[in-house]
Amino acid sequence: MKYCIDPSICLKLLKDKCGTCEEVCPTNAIDYSQTETELTIQAGSVIFAPGFKPFDPSRFDNYQYANYANVVTSMEFERILSATGPTGGHVTTLPKLPAKPKKKADKLLAEKRKDPKKIAWFQCVGSRDINKCDNAYCSSVCCMYAVKEAVIAKEHAGDDLECSIFFMDMRTPGKEFEKYYENAKSSYGINFIRSRVHSVTEDPDSLDLNINYVDEFGQMVSDTYDMIVLSIGLEIPDETREFAKKIGIDISEGGFAKTSSFEPVSTSRDGIHVAGVFNSPKDIPESVLDANAAASAAGDSLSHVRDTLTQVPEKVEEINVVGERPRIGVFICDCGSNIKGVVDCEAVTEYAKSLPYVDFAYESMFACSQDAQDKMVEYIKEKNLNRIVVAACTPKTHEPLFQETLSNSGLNKYLFEMTNIRNHNSWVHKNNPDIATQKAKDLVRMAVAKSALAEPLAEEKINLNDTIMVVGGGIAGLSAAKSLAMQGYETHIIEKKDILGGEARKIYKTAQGESVQDELDKLIDSVITNDNIKVHLNTTLDSVDGFVGNFRSTLTENGQPIELEYGAAVLATGAKGYEPTEYGYGSDDRIMTSLGLDALFVESSEKLDAVKSAVFIQCVGSREPDRPYCSRVCCTHSIDNAIELKERNPETDVYILYRDIRAYGERELLYKKARELGVIFIRYSTDDKPVVQVEKETLTIKVTDHVLGKPLEIEADLLTLASALIPRRDEQLANFFKVPLNDEGFFVEKHAKLGPAEFATDGVYVCGSGHYPKPLNEAVTQGRASASRLLTLLAKKDSLFTSGTIATIDFENCCSCGVCISICPYSAPDFQNEGRFAGKADINPVLCKGCGLCVASCRSGAIHLRGFDTNQILTQIFALDEVV
Amino acid sequence: MGNLLEHMGVEKDRIHFSWISSAEATKFVDVVKEISDKVRALGPNTKLKKIYS
Amino acid sequence: MSENNVKIVSFLCNWCSYGAADLAGVSRLEYPADIRVIRIPCSGRMSPKFILSALREGADAVWVSG
Repeated sequence: MKYCIDPSICLKLLKDKCGTCEEVCPTNAIDYSQTETELTIQAGSVIFAPGFKPFDPSRFDNYQYANYANVVTSMEFERILSATGPTGGHVTTLPKLPAKPKKKADKLLAEKRKDPKKIAWFQCVGSRDINKCDNAYCSSVCCMYAVKEAVIAKEHAGDDLECSIFFMDMRTPGKEFEKYYENAKSSYGINFIRSRVHSVTEDPDSLDLNINYVDEFGQMVSDTYDMIVLSIGLEIPDETREFAKKIGIDISEGGFAKTSSFEPVSTSRDGIHVAGVFNSPKDIPESVLDANAAASAAGDSLSHVRDTLTQVPEKVEEINVVGERPRIGVFICDCGSNIKGVVDCEAVTEYAKSLPYVDFAYESMFACSQDAQDKMVEYIKEKNLNRIVVAACTPKTHEPLFQETLSNSGLNKYLFEMTNIRNHNSWVHKNNPDIATQKAKDLVRMAVAKSALAEPLAEEKINLNDTIMVVGGGIAGLSAAKSLAMQGYETHIIEKKDILGGEARKIYKTAQGESVQDELDKLIDSVITNDNIKVHLNTTLDSVDGFVGNFRSTLTENGQPIELEYGAAVLATGAKGYEPTEYGYGSDDRIMTSLGLDALFVESSEKLDAVKSAVFIQCVGSREPDRPYCSRVCCTHSIDNAIELKERNPETDVYILYRDIRAYGERELLYKKARELGVIFIRYSTDDKPVVQVEKETLTIKVTDHVLGKPLEIEADLLTLASALIPRRDEQLANFFKVPLNDEGFFVEKHAKLGPAEFATDGVYVCGSGHYPKPLNEAVTQGRASASRLLTLLAKKDSLFTSGTIATIDFENCCSCGVCISICPYSAPDFQNEGRFAGKADINPVLCKGCGLCVASCRSGAIHLRGFDTNQILTQIFALDEVV
Repeated sequence: MGNLLEHMGVEKDRIHFSWISSAEATKFVDVVKEISDKVRALGPNTKLKKIYS
Repeated sequence: MSENNVKIVSFLCNWCSYGAADLAGVSRLEYPADIRVIRIPCSGRMSPKFILSALREGADAVWVSG
C-alpha cells in the first residue's frame, strides 16, 4: 500500500503553493510531475472482484441515523469494539464525537457521554426490503455479525450491559454459527426479539432512544435504549454495475454477477471470472473459496501457456563461511519514527559496535526499503561480513525478506538473526525512552550472541509426485478433479459406489432452476473423457503412508488390491441425507424426505398429480441438541419444491412449517416468489413442534399458528420432511491423513476463515459437504478452490524445500530409547532399519516442523534443533547477565 | 518444575507458565503486568544466582 | 539490580505468544519493560535446563508461554 496525492485538492498542483510533503518526506518519494497514465495489460483471463459497499442508512427517515447521535451502523460499531478504534475498544455512547472534543458544542454534548446499559441491533437494514430501498436479497452476513458484536460488547462492557437483537429470521447457516448463536442466548443472555421496529425517537435531553414495536404475541411494546446499531446490508455500488455493463457481463436485479450453479465463478462473458460479494453476498470463508475457485477457473483455460512468461532470478553462488571467525554486521532500523521516536538508535548502533565479533554496525531509516537492502548487500561484500543481525520489527513478517537479501549477497540465509525492537519495545514502552533504549541494547546483545553461533543450514529438496488422489466422486470431487486434470495433472478419483455423482444424483433442480441431472451428466462426461483422469469405482482406501509429495496407498478396486503413489489428496467424501425417526417417517409412503420428493419430480411421477395439499416440515434433525448445526440447504430446497408444486398445479395448497427461513443471498427472491404464489409459511417453535397423524384417507398435521397463536389442523396428502445433511464421520479416513473431525463429524479445515479448502496437514485438501453441508454451487466452488490450493503446491514442484531449522540426530549419542518417536506430533522420527546406525532414530526432514519437542525430550542430548540449538538459546541467556 | 525450584529455595512466583494465542494481545499484556508485579514484589533473585568471585 | 528494574527472561512460542506480543505492539498497548524475549519455535522446545541457567545467570524470573 502506498500513498498518492489527490490532485483535486492538492495546493501544490492547483496553485503551486505549499509543497510541505516534499520537504518532510525523508525518502524523497514525492514527485509532483507524475500524471495519470493509461496502462495496457495483455491478459488471458480476468478475475473481477470489486467487492461491495456497506448500505448507507441515512436515507431512512424512520431510524434517523443521520440525525441521532446514538444511532450507529454496524460498521461503526465494529470500530467501537476494536482496540485500535476511536474509543480504544471501550463501549460508549456518542461514539461519533471526538474523544477529546475541541468545539464548544461538542464539549457540551460530550458531557452526556455514558457507558450504555442497553443496546439494540436492528437487522435487515438495507436488506430484504423493497419498501424503503430496492434490495430484495438477504445480505447473508448481518445476522452472524450482529450476534458477534453483541457477544463482544458484553465481553467488553460486562454483564450489566443488556443486548437485544431485533430480527425477522435468524440466519446463521454457516459452519459453527448455529452453536455460536445458541451460546449467545444461553451463556451471554443476549435477547433475540422477533420484530421489525417501525421507528425511533430521541429524548432531546438524555439523547436516549425510544422505540415502539409489536412483539411476537401481537402486543405493542415501548422501550428505551442508550444506543441502536443498524445491521446494514451489503450493496453493489452503481459504479460497479456500470463497469459490469461496460465489460459486458450480465448482472442480476440486485447487481450481482450472474453465474451458473455448475460454473459458479464464471460470468456470462467467456474468460471473465468473479469472486467475492459481487458474485453474491457472502462471508469471509466463502469469499476466500470464491477467490481460490476463480484462480482455478482462470488457470484451466490458460494451462497451455503456463510458465511461458516466467523470469528466473539470477542465483548467487553461496560463500562458504564454515570455520571462519564470525564477522557480524548489525543493522539497526529506525522504522521512520516508529523506533527512533522512542529508542536512541544512534546509541544502540554505537553500543552494537562494541559487542564481540561485531565488525560493522549501521543505522538505517527503513531497513526493509529497497535501497537499504541494496546497501546491505554492498556492506556485506565490502566488509566481508558472514553473520547479519537486524534489529527492527517482527521476524514473523520480515525475516524472509532479509533472508532473501542474504541469499542475494551469497550468504546462507540462516546466518541471519532478527530481533524485535519495535513491536516488543518502542511501540509498547513509548513513555519510557531510557528503559526502551536499554532494552533495545539488551535485545541486540542477545541477538548478536546467538548470531555468533549461527551455522549455514542446508534445505533439502522435497521430491513431489504430481499425481493426485481425489477421494469421493460427488460434485465437489468431480469439480476438483476436472480442474486439476485440465491443468495437466494425472488425477485419480476413488469412489466407493459403482457410479459417479454422489448425492447430486438424487436432486431435481438447483435453486436457479437448472436441471441437476443434465448438468451432472455433462460434468461426468467431461471427467471420464479426460485422459488425465482415472476413475476407480467400487474402490475403498485401505491404507495411507507417506507425507506431502510422497503418499502411497493401498486400494481395493472391485475386490482387487492396487497400489497408488501420489503427491497430494483431496478429501471430498460428502454428506448424506438423515433418515428421520420423527413425524411418522417410514410408516406411510406419503411421508418422504426432500430427496424423496425430488425423486418423484425426476421421474415425473403420477403420484404428484393427485396431490391437493402438501406440507413441508423444516429442521428435521437439524438445529437439535444432538445435531446442533443448520444444514444450510433445506430451506431453499423446500421453497424450491413448494414453487415446483405450485407451478405444476396452482390449486395445490402448500404449507411450509419452519423455525427460521434461511434463504440467504438471492435465495431470498425465491422465498418472496413462493409467498407470491400463495405458499403458506407457518412458524413453529421447538417446544411446540408439529404433530403428524397418519390416517387412511389423509395425513393430519397439527401446528400452532404463530400469528394467531391458535392450533391449526392441516390435512395433507404429501408430507415432506426437510431432513438434515449428516456427515459420514469417517474416522478411519481422518486417521489415515491425520486430519481432525469436529464434534458433529465434519472435517476441520486449516483455518475457519482463511483456509477453508485445505487441512493443516500439508498436501491434504478438503471440499464438499464433508466439510459442512452446502448447496451444489458452493460444492463446485469449494471443489475448484481445493484444486486451486493444490495447484499452488504443485507449482513449487522444482522449488519445494524443507525448512533448514529442523531437528537432527547425532547417531553416536542416540540410545535408541524411542521417546522422540512416541512424542513427535508429526511422526518425523523413526528407527533406521539398515546401515551403520541401524536401530538408532533418524528424523525425516520433510515431516519435521522444527518444534523442538524431541530435542527437549532426548535423554541423551543427541538431538539438535538447527537454528535454535541449545547453545544458541543458552548464549542468549548468558548474554542477559553481562553488565552494561 | 515449580516444586523443584521451591525445594531449592527459589520462590515459586519466579517461574511462570502461560498459554496465549497470537490474537490475544490484551491477555499478553495482562500476563506481563501480573508477572512483573509479582516479581517486583519479590525483589531481585539472589537464591540461585551465580556469584562471580 | 534495583527493585524497579527486574529482568524476566521470557521464552515465547513463535506461533502463539510471540505473535501476541507483536500484536500488542501493533495495538500500541503498554506494559512493563521487564521482559527479555527469547523466541523459541514452540513451547515444546523448552527444557528445564534453560530455566535453571536463566536463574543462575541472574534473571529475576522466568516466563514460559505457549
